[in-house]
Amino acid sequence: MKKSIFLIGLLITSIIFVSILFSNNLINSQREKTVLEKMNQVVGEYENIQTLIFMSEFFGEDSACTGLQSTLSTMDKGLWDLGLKIDLYRQVTENFMQDPFYVEQKTEFNRKEVLYFAMLKKMKDMCKINQTIVSYFYKKKEYCPDCDAQSFVLADIRRDLEKINKDDELAIFSFDADLSIPSINLLIKVYNITTYPSIVVGNTTYSGLYNKKEIIKLFCKEKKLSIC
Amino acid sequence: MNIFYSIMVSFVWFLSTYFNVVFLIALLTEKDEMFKYRKLNKNEDPPKVSIIVPAYNEEETIEQSIKSLKKIDYPKDKLEIIIVNDGSRDNTGKIVNKLKGKRIIFLDNKENRGKATSLNQGIKASTGEFVGCMDADSEVQSDIIKKTIPYFKDKKVGAVAVTVEVKNAKNFLQKIVEIEYIMGLSLALKMLSFFNAVHVTPGPFSIYRKEVLEKIGMFDPKNITEDLEIAYRIHKGGYKIACCIATKVRTITPETFKSLYRQRKRWYSGALYTINQHRDIVLNPRIGYFSYIVPYTFLLIFFGLFLFGFSIYLGASHFAKSLSLFSLTGFNFLSYITFNEFDILTLSTLTFFGITAIATTIFSAYVCMKLTEKVIKKKFVGFIGFIFLFFLYQIFWASSIFTVLFRKKVDWR
Repeated sequence: MKKSIFLIGLLITSIIFVSILFSNNLINSQREKTVLEKMNQVVGEYENIQTLIFMSEFFGEDSACTGLQSTLSTMDKGLWDLGLKIDLYRQVTENFMQDPFYVEQKTEFNRKEVLYFAMLKKMKDMCKINQTIVSYFYKKKEYCPDCDAQSFVLADIRRDLEKINKDDELAIFSFDADLSIPSINLLIKVYNITTYPSIVVGNTTYSGLYNKKEIIKLFCKEKKLSIC
Repeated sequence: MNIFYSIMVSFVWFLSTYFNVVFLIALLTEKDEMFKYRKLNKNEDPPKVSIIVPAYNEEETIEQSIKSLKKIDYPKDKLEIIIVNDGSRDNTGKIVNKLKGKRIIFLDNKENRGKATSLNQGIKASTGEFVGCMDADSEVQSDIIKKTIPYFKDKKVGAVAVTVEVKNAKNFLQKIVEIEYIMGLSLALKMLSFFNAVHVTPGPFSIYRKEVLEKIGMFDPKNITEDLEIAYRIHKGGYKIACCIATKVRTITPETFKSLYRQRKRWYSGALYTINQHRDIVLNPRIGYFSYIVPYTFLLIFFGLFLFGFSIYLGASHFAKSLSLFSLTGFNFLSYITFNEFDILTLSTLTFFGITAIATTIFSAYVCMKLTEKVIKKKFVGFIGFIFLFFLYQIFWASSIFTVLFRKKVDWR
């Protein structure tokens, strides 16, 4: 009787313990599902843009640009949310889950960002899009102690714009220089990035950590935003 | 987050949940036995019992204690009450002299020599077969002797502990301690008695077989938690400690955090000195479950404390990092809080460990309240506070470990 209490206790505790780990697995698959859904959404938007660009060759730039304006802002928001989710879920799961999924998604996300970045650059002049394009290059904490801080500042500026429904005034692209994606490597070369973090506003590269005030100043030098 | 931290959380969670689960199973399976007690045989001559009350500066409480002793339902010629004044500098002596009458023996010492020495002096002067030791700030229930003495029919029983209840819990701190006593000094001791693993004979009131006390060498005057230390020697002597929760002693608890801190520092430092003094009991199969349960609780305490320290360190470094990040945005907290929508998928495994740990604590406390027929609504404040007592324990244990390691002096009050 006495011994059995200890054994039953051990069994119940083990069941609760395993249930927690099992629920964590279930939640993690839900996390992966959410990331994949958001990724698919972004891919869908990307295909829309591609179609509109293709159509502009036949029906003229004006008609395509009208459609592009709304698609671009949806895609911009989708990409931003996806980036946040990947980072957030990765932080939560890093101790108990396999990381490859998030590394894979991060790579895919960066690839999509480069595509969107390139398209936006192209469409900006063609459709006279009033959007400041910012590229932000970062590396892992070990190689770039200030990168976390710079990401935090950029996210805060983005939130300020969201608050006043003007987030379409600014497109921020975060490129992970550790992923060795050829297109990102090319951008690093083009913008002459040698130290991290680095921000490219328009075509000018700014290296080092900047606080919110300093960054807003840089953005406003390029174009007048609602937060200027 | 750190992988080592996650492993620590899982490990401490397992140790504490296992303890809680075993506690609950024992309570629920033995709940019918819990409040049962044996009665004295009517044809039998009741044994003589002596109650020793050491008192040091107890002018505010001694009167009530004596009154409760006088109300004890036991043949007058079989009950001896001995009050030992331990060199009080207040009016304790005068009050005892006024109230003692013919039934109370008063040993009036002019010099303060400590509780254990006073108890030993009282025991030596006693003539009873059984000796009840009682704190001078406590009050006993009138049936306390009738309900505890029958346990000694088992010749192996060396001592009997009873329910310790908080007298007049007024403030928040006392209400928390009230719940702690219901769980820790009542039901937990009863549960441990099923395994013959009661680790303490609480100072407010416990009753001993005098022969056993003499055999094991009485109370240790050098030990600051004599009621804990003697329990170890009772087990080592091959005797059992029973627990009767059908009767109770009511005692006062500290009113302020400072006095609670001092009390716990004495208790926990004493516990550390005692386990060190009797380290030969650890995993000693001759002693039984006691030798496994005691080191298990110490293991839980040490790992829990380490985890607490680690969490404080991680929390503080996270806070410092957050502050430095917010300094870059002009401390724009509002936007951060309002624009970060809650996502249930961001809850980590560690959060689930935390939630289940709190849930099992609440459930254990709830079961204890139900079993002891306490009205939860009345004790709600203490019930909620009890959940967070874990944090206070860590402070008390950390301070006690420091005290023991650096051999600091521990005050009685």
